[in-house]
Amino acid sequence: MTSPGVLVIYILLIVLGTAALSRGHGSFQQGLIRGAEQLIKLLPRMLCALVAAGFLAMLVPTEVISGFLGAEAGFMAIVIGTLAGMIIPAGPAISFSIAAVLASEGASTPALVSFTTSWGIFALHRVFIFEIPLLGISFTRLRMLSVLVIPLLAGGLTLVATSVLSKW
Amino acid sequence: MPSTAKSNDVCPGSRDWWAGLLRESFGVSFLLFAAFAIVMGLTCYILLGPERFDGAVSGSLELLGNTLPRVVAAQFVAGFVWAMLPRDRFSQLADANFSLRGLVIATAAGIITPGGPTSAFSLLAIAAGAGADRGILITYITSWALLAVQRIIVWDLPFMGAEFSATRFLVCLPLPILAGMIARWLPLSLVLVDAPQQPGEGK
Repeated sequence: MTSPGVLVIYILLIVLGTAALSRGHGSFQQGLIRGAEQLIKLLPRMLCALVAAGFLAMLVPTEVISGFLGAEAGFMAIVIGTLAGMIIPAGPAISFSIAAVLASEGASTPALVSFTTSWGIFALHRVFIFEIPLLGISFTRLRMLSVLVIPLLAGGLTLVATSVLSKW
Repeated sequence: MPSTAKSNDVCPGSRDWWAGLLRESFGVSFLLFAAFAIVMGLTCYILLGPERFDGAVSGSLELLGNTLPRVVAAQFVAGFVWAMLPRDRFSQLADANFSLRGLVIATAAGIITPGGPTSAFSLLAIAAGAGADRGILITYITSWALLAVQRIIVWDLPFMGAEFSATRFLVCLPLPILAGMIARWLPLSLVLVDAPQQPGEGK
């Protein structure tokens, strides 16, 4: 299902490992140690996050949430869709399953756009696994503040677009 | 929380190294995650019963088995990128090249980046090391998260349908550029995660 993506990782690993070896200056050892350190720090949290996400996916009261995401809720549905998307610390398999269930239970298109957009940019597991180890917490802080309005704007634009189109 | 560069002052593999690492592994954020998992688990068990509970646990373990090799590879990719990047240039050039053209190119790059977060975040770190400004970095990773074609084909299309996917793509198209402009405007300091010590370069 995601095999091309998986392949990219291993190719990158081989390419970068070879580059580090040929560069010298202890880059290869530094990289290995750094990788091992990050891995050891990450694993306990990742295990908890994965297990919690599994329970969360079962517990998310999609009927209750979709009640707030209907077309009649207007902009409020966009806000709630945004908040719901922020709190899902799991990969696309879980978040898109939830989105599909919400859609079948009558969530409006603008609310669903906010939900999937919000999950796309805030997904917490990605922040812990990749962003903080690679770029640092100050980058994460800058990014979070920069993208805060995006899910609201995406939902709002969809709301405007769908209501204009439905008038025609 | 990001660590300080332990590998520089403590010998890797030594007792102090392990002690420091394990202290961080099982630190405050671990306790929060663990507490969250336990509360979710108990709630699941009480509300949905042991069968759904078991289902959730075995689903999570299966997911863990699938994800673990990728995560291990990802951390070593990150380690090599970290070891080879000239980090000091990041903060120096972070405020340079403030063009709109850069943001458009970063959006396009995000759209065509193949693969999952490992490749996107590795490229992001490489761009950061090469001295791209903060606007370009934020625009690139936001564009990848929202617009990456491969992700849309694999996830959006099958789950949400063509009409929804097209709507979301068009609506989100200008937003990474906006995020990049906000990032350039925000008065926040930006420091890369603990730089590897380059000989002759003090802080």
